Amino acid sequence: MLSLGLIRGLIVGAIGAVIGMALTMAARVALGRPAWSADPVSFVGAISWIVFFLVGIGAFSDWWRWAQGEQAGDPHHPDPNAPQWKRYFSFDPSHKVIGIQYTVTALALMYVAGLLALIMRLELARSGLQFMSPNTYNTIMGLHGIVMIGAILLGVSGMANYLIPLMVGAPDMAFPRLNALSFWITVPGVVLIVLSFFTGGFDTGWTGYPPLGARAPLGILFFYLGVFAIGLSSILGSINFLTTTLKMRAPGMSLFRMPIFVWGMLATSIIQLVATQFIGMSFLMVVLERVLGMGFFDPAKGGDAVLFQHIFWFYSHPAVYIFILPGLGIISELLPVFVRKPLFGYKFVALSSMAIAIIGFLVWAHHMFTVGLGNVLNSTFMFTTVLVAVPTGIKFFNWLATMWEGKISFETPMLFVLGAFVIFLIGGLSGPPNGTVVTDFFLHETYWVVGHFHHTMFGGFVFPFMAAIYFWFPKVTGRMYNERLGKLHFWLMTIGFFMVTTSMFRIGLLGMRRRIADYDPALGFDTFQMIATMGGFLVGLSMLVFLVNIVRSIRAGERAPENPWRSRSLEWQISSPPPEFNYPTPPVVVGGPYDYGVPGSVYVRFGIAGASDADPARTSSDNGKS
Amino acid sequence: MSTATTHTSAVVHPEYDRLALNRFGLWLFFFSESLIFLILLLTRFYLFGTSRPEELNQTLGLAITVILLLSSFTAYRAETAIAHDDRPQFLRNLLATILLGTLFLLGVVLVEWPEAPRLGIVPQEGFGIAFFSMTGMHAFHVLSGVLLLLMVYLNGRRGAYSSDSYWGVEASIKYWHFVDVVWVFFYPALYLL
Amino acid sequence: MEAKKAAKLRLGWIVIGILAVLTAVEFWVAIAINSALLYLAVLALAKAALIVQYFMHVNQLWHKEGHE
Ligand SMILES: [Cu+2]
Repeated sequence: MLSLGLIRGLIVGAIGAVIGMALTMAARVALGRPAWSADPVSFVGAISWIVFFLVGIGAFSDWWRWAQGEQAGDPHHPDPNAPQWKRYFSFDPSHKVIGIQYTVTALALMYVAGLLALIMRLELARSGLQFMSPNTYNTIMGLHGIVMIGAILLGVSGMANYLIPLMVGAPDMAFPRLNALSFWITVPGVVLIVLSFFTGGFDTGWTGYPPLGARAPLGILFFYLGVFAIGLSSILGSINFLTTTLKMRAPGMSLFRMPIFVWGMLATSIIQLVATQFIGMSFLMVVLERVLGMGFFDPAKGGDAVLFQHIFWFYSHPAVYIFILPGLGIISELLPVFVRKPLFGYKFVALSSMAIAIIGFLVWAHHMFTVGLGNVLNSTFMFTTVLVAVPTGIKFFNWLATMWEGKISFETPMLFVLGAFVIFLIGGLSGPPNGTVVTDFFLHETYWVVGHFHHTMFGGFVFPFMAAIYFWFPKVTGRMYNERLGKLHFWLMTIGFFMVTTSMFRIGLLGMRRRIADYDPALGFDTFQMIATMGGFLVGLSMLVFLVNIVRSIRAGERAPENPWRSRSLEWQISSPPPEFNYPTPPVVVGGPYDYGVPGSVYVRFGIAGASDADPARTSSDNGKS
Repeated sequence: MSTATTHTSAVVHPEYDRLALNRFGLWLFFFSESLIFLILLLTRFYLFGTSRPEELNQTLGLAITVILLLSSFTAYRAETAIAHDDRPQFLRNLLATILLGTLFLLGVVLVEWPEAPRLGIVPQEGFGIAFFSMTGMHAFHVLSGVLLLLMVYLNGRRGAYSSDSYWGVEASIKYWHFVDVVWVFFYPALYLL
Repeated sequence: MEAKKAAKLRLGWIVIGILAVLTAVEFWVAIAINSALLYLAVLALAKAALIVQYFMHVNQLWHKEGHE
C-alpha cells in the first residue's frame, strides 16, 4: 500500500494538517489570544496540508536533492515491468500518464458537478421550496460553478498534456517534474473545494464577491484556497505548454505547420499565464480583508468594492477562452479528418485563436454594465465585446467551407463536433444581447445569461471534449469504443441539453432571476422549469451511457488498428498506446498538417534527423540509430 | 509499450538545449509573477490616486532602496565570478548579497512596519492597505530569494557549480534581480510620489 | 578569459553607477517637482531596463549561447 504515492501523500498530508493547526494555535496562545479561531487556524492547517501532501507523494524529492547540490538528472520513470495502474496513483513524470490523470479527474469532477446541477434542477422543477434552504441552494450553486470550472481546467490540461508533446513530435514536456506537480497540486485543491461544503458552505456563488465574501461562513476560505491551488496548477501548466510548444517542436515544424489544437493551446496558455494571477490576487485580497481586516474593498476604510470586480473579471472573462479555445482547436482538428478535405484557411483559423485571446483581455467590464461605470466605459467595453465575434466568425466560416462538398462520415467524434458547431453557434449568437449595454440592462442576472453561458461551455468545451475522448480513445487505450453506445450518448445529450437551454432562454426573457432557489408561481415559469429539469436528467443519463461505454471498451473493446481514422497527425503514425518516449525514430515535418486528399502530399517522415533545422534553440543530432 | 532496451532516456531523447529551455521557462515564470506586483501597484493607484502620506520615513526608504540595488550589484559579480571559475570571489559576493538582502528585510519588517502605525499608517485602512500589502508581498519574495541564495551559497562552499554548470546559481540570481526590479517600481510608488 | 571577466566586472561598476545616479535623480525629482508621476515612471522604467538587460541578461533568450 505504501508504495502508492497517493496513500503516502494522504498520510503525510494529514500529519501536516495537524502540525500546521497546532503551530498556529500555539502561536496564538503565545500572543495571548484564545487558541481557537476558525479562520486563521484552518487556513494555515489547510496550506500545510497541501504542502505535506505534496511532500508525501514525492513531488519535491528530486528538487530537494537538487537543492543540496546534487545533480537530479533526468526525471525518474518507473520500472516498465511494474504494474501500470500504480503509475496513475503516483508522482509520475510521463506526460501521457499525467494527461490521463488529468482527464480522469476532470471527468470525475464533471460527474460531481453534474450531480449538483441535477440537485438544483430538482429544487427548481416546481415553484415553492422543495427540500432545500436558500443558503444550501446557494452553496450548491456556487459549488456546481467552481467544480465545473475546475473540471474544465483539468480537462483542458488533460487533452493538452497527452496531445501536445505527441503533436509537436517531442518525447515529453519541457519540465516533466513541474508537470507532475501541476497535476498533483490540483488534488488537494479539489478536496478543499469539496470540504468547503462541510465547513459551512459559502453563499456567495463562485464569484465570491466582497463584502459577502469577507463575511461568508468558513467554507469560503476553503473555496478560495482550492482556487489558489488550481490556479497555481494552471500557471505552472502554461509555462510547460509554452516552452514545449515554442522550443521543442520536431525539425521542420514551423509555427504554421503546427496542428490547430496546438495553436489553440498556445493562445490558451498565454491567457493562463497572464490572467490567472488576477483571480488569485482578487481572492487573496478578500482573504486579507477577512483575516487581517485590510479594507481593500471596504469603502468605510478607504477601499472600493468595484475594484474587486475589475480584478476578478480581468481573469474570469479570459477564463472562458481558456475553456473554449482548446475545444475550438479540437473541432478544427477533427473536421478535416472526417470530411477528408484540407482545413479551409489554415492560417486564419490558427491566428483567430490568438486574436480571440488578445481581444479577450479587453472586454472584462461587460460583466459590470449595471455597476454604474458610466456611458463612456460602458460603450467602450460594448465595442470590444462585439469585436470578439469577428475572429470567432472567421472560425465558423472556415469550418463551413471545410465541410463544403466534403465526404462527411458520421462516427461518434464527428457527431460531437457537429453538435459542438451548432451549440456553440447559438451560444455565440446569444452573446451580443448580453454584450450590448441597452439589452444587457434587461437581461443582466437573468436565466438568459445562464442559457448563453451553458451554450458556450457545452459547445466550446463539453462536446469537443467528448469528441476528443472518443477520437483519441483508440490511441490512448489501444481499443475501440462501442459506436452504437457512442451515438446513443450523443443523441441523448443533445436532446437533453436543448431542453435545458431552450427553457432557460425562454424564462430568462420572461424575467427569471439567476442565483435564487425559488420563484413566484404566478410568473408562469413552472412548465419550462419542469422541461429543463427533465432535460437535465436526460443529460445525466447520457453521461451514464458514456461511462458504461468507456469502462466496457477499456476492458473488452475491439483491438484498435494504429490509425483507425486515417489521420495525418504525428501521433497516429506510431503504435497505440505510444511508447514511453513517443517516437522511436524522430519525426521530421515536411508539409502542411491538413492536406487531406491532396495528391502526393506528405506531412511527416521518420528517421531523417537533422534534415531541417528551423529552430536554432534545438540541436537535432544523430538519433536515427535507435 | 516501452521495452527495457528503449527505456533509458538517453536512447530516444533528441538532444534539446536544456539551458535554453530552463531560461525560457524561468522568464515565463517571472512574467507571470510580475503581474502579482502589477495588480498591487494598480490597486494602489486605483484607490489612492497619486496621493501619498507625508509621514513615511524617507531616510529609511532611500536606505533600503540603495541596499537592494547594491545587492543586485554583488549578485551580478557573484554570477560573473562563477562563470569564470573564481570560487572565492563568487562566495564572497554571494555572501554580501545575502547579507544585504537580510538587511533590507530587517529594515522593512523590524523598522518600517513597527514605525508606520505610530505615524498613523495602519494596515487596516487608508494608504496603509496599499503600503503593507505591497511591502508585505515584496518582502515575502525577498525572503524566498534570500533562502534560495543561502542554499546556493552552502552548496557553493561544498564545491558545487563550475563555469560549465551553474544553472542553480544563474536561476537564483536572476530571481534576485527580478525581486530588485519590483522594488524599482514600488519605491517611487510608495515613497516618492 | 581574464580580460573578458575584467570587462564584465567593469560593466557591473558602470551599471550600478548609472543606477545610483538615476536613484538620486528620482529622489531629487520627488522633492523638486510637484506632479512627478510621469518622470518617476520613466526613471523607474530606465532603471528596470538596465537591470533586465545587463544583470539578468534577457538577450540570452534570443541569442543562443550556453554558459560562456
Ligand atoms: Cu465575459
